[in-house]
Amino acid sequence: MFKNFFRKDIVLCVALGANVNNADEWLKYADKEMRGDQSHAELVMTIQTPNWTRELEIESDSEGKSLALSTIKSPAKEKGIRTLRIDNNMWNYLPKLKRKISISSSMLLASWMGSDFTNDDILKSSSMSQDYHHKFKPDEKIGAETFRVIDNTAKSDSKVMWPSIVSYSSKKDCLPRLYRYYDKQGVLRRTLTLDDVKTFDGHKVPTKWEMKPEADKSKKTTLTYKDIKFKTTFGPNHFSQKNLTD
Amino acid sequence: MKFLLPLALICSFPVWSKYDTEFSGNVETQGRFTWNNEMAKSDLLQDWKKGDFYLIYGNLSGKLNFDQSRVEANWFLRGSASELYTPQESPLGDRPPYFVTQIFTYPNKLVARDLFNLQYENRDGVFKAESVLNKFLYEYDIGNHRITVGRMYINYGQGEIFNPINPFNQPTGLTAISQVAQGNDGIAVDYFFNDKFSLDLFVLGDKRIHGYDGEVSRTLWAHGEIQASDDLQLDFVFGEDQNRHKAGGQYSYRLGESILFAQILYQSEYLDATPSNSLFDGLLAYDRQLTSKWHVRFEGGYQQKNKFATLSNLGERFLPTEYFLALANQYEIHPLVKLNGTAINDVKSGFTYLIAKIALDLGRDMELDLFGFVPVSKGDEADNVAQKLVTTDIGFALRKFF
Repeated sequence: MFKNFFRKDIVLCVALGANVNNADEWLKYADKEMRGDQSHAELVMTIQTPNWTRELEIESDSEGKSLALSTIKSPAKEKGIRTLRIDNNMWNYLPKLKRKISISSSMLLASWMGSDFTNDDILKSSSMSQDYHHKFKPDEKIGAETFRVIDNTAKSDSKVMWPSIVSYSSKKDCLPRLYRYYDKQGVLRRTLTLDDVKTFDGHKVPTKWEMKPEADKSKKTTLTYKDIKFKTTFGPNHFSQKNLTD
Repeated sequence: MKFLLPLALICSFPVWSKYDTEFSGNVETQGRFTWNNEMAKSDLLQDWKKGDFYLIYGNLSGKLNFDQSRVEANWFLRGSASELYTPQESPLGDRPPYFVTQIFTYPNKLVARDLFNLQYENRDGVFKAESVLNKFLYEYDIGNHRITVGRMYINYGQGEIFNPINPFNQPTGLTAISQVAQGNDGIAVDYFFNDKFSLDLFVLGDKRIHGYDGEVSRTLWAHGEIQASDDLQLDFVFGEDQNRHKAGGQYSYRLGESILFAQILYQSEYLDATPSNSLFDGLLAYDRQLTSKWHVRFEGGYQQKNKFATLSNLGERFLPTEYFLALANQYEIHPLVKLNGTAINDVKSGFTYLIAKIALDLGRDMELDLFGFVPVSKGDEADNVAQKLVTTDIGFALRKFF
């Protein structure tokens, strides 16, 4: 244990505040670092196949783990579409027809705006620490870097789409670099890679998120964060159905 | 002069542009080839065999944001051309256009509750042009509540083929149109008490049913939405509308990976002395994303017949069926290509109608739909006259967003 404790790479994470021997704390630290108490982000979603590429410019606000509001800024076809999440409820709003659509659990598997991210990713991405049991697995070396591996298994009473997710975190900054999503049969269905860590308002954040479905390896969706402001505040009704439909 | 109002709004752009403004819109062109229903020919004087119908329509939307308020407008333009606008000569004199032209320009009433006649319509031979400001409103925020004055869209309820709890915006699930919403003239107050409960109150007026020089038919309407739990949402509606008292609601429940919802709406007899019967509508629906690519929806409903229906109030009843079952599928065969197939059956008459669409994303904010509408079973002739008007169509729709 002491040998591990004084390893140079892990010392970095301890200095950053992560408890190296507790998978729950490790994930909470990474979550806090990447999410902050509140944030306003500008990002580009790029959906790619061998034959075509499509880009969406998005502004995304979040507060704590349960409030999020995103607005599509371009292209024209989707411009103005908003997605609001409050706790476990989620709505899409189509301003051109003034139509609010409640995202039911029946639609969690559905693609979000034609991308490889699902409504479930948008709704449940913040509940990894609540909905899963976490356990360290042996470290794994991928390329030149050795990663801390955490096995996340869904709790029996949680309503999640993925029964098992394995995360790979860098020992340099404790932040995740890879997620592997497995179905009920234990088959790998998709992979999320996080890269290009940058610092915004003192928070280290991977700015390039790449989702690849295993069923179609020629296809992928990339989220690229252009800017994130963590030192921001929102009005009292910012994450509300009224603001969604303004 | 009314036609010039949207133009004046656009010309005032240099003034608007100093503020926080947003502009968007779309333009769509459609062409379809249509074959007439044999029963319409023989029974309803629709004496045409086959024809073409061409449609071009578009929206231009603007939004002007202030601190606590905003002004929004949408200008809807539609032009259509078809020989079906000019029926064959009759020894009895001039004849109105064939009914089918109204179906192809659905919704032909672009303002559901119409207090101001902010629209222009002209028909000349085989051409018809329409221009309407179907949204023009001022919204003001008071804390977490909102007041809206003007012509507004009212859009709630989960039914896509039949949505009886919302009489202010007809569903377009059985049409080739996708970018149209109906306006409503009046005042709305939206109370957002919290994220579990909101209440919308409407005071609307409608002149059209009595003519613009006549009296105003009032609408006093309440719509409430209650998020009773993570899985259960309840909506209720009640009020006075189109000379009837109406009340109803929606029950929407998440059932595992599905959603189950039901709607009912009761309408009283006419409030004045006009002969009428009360009406009842019901809907039961099931919606499920079967896989990440395949979405399926079932809607089954009942729409009580208006025994006193006349040509002037035929539009009160939305569907050309009394009992219906509908199954709608959407399957993504490629991220750019979606297949849609809908079948609707009138349980009582046996009438069955199929709708097939292929939607192609062409990139650069452009979409192409190829569609076909086919009545595969004509049903009992006596049961519903409107079913005799249903044609067989194939066509395309090309739309561009900007």
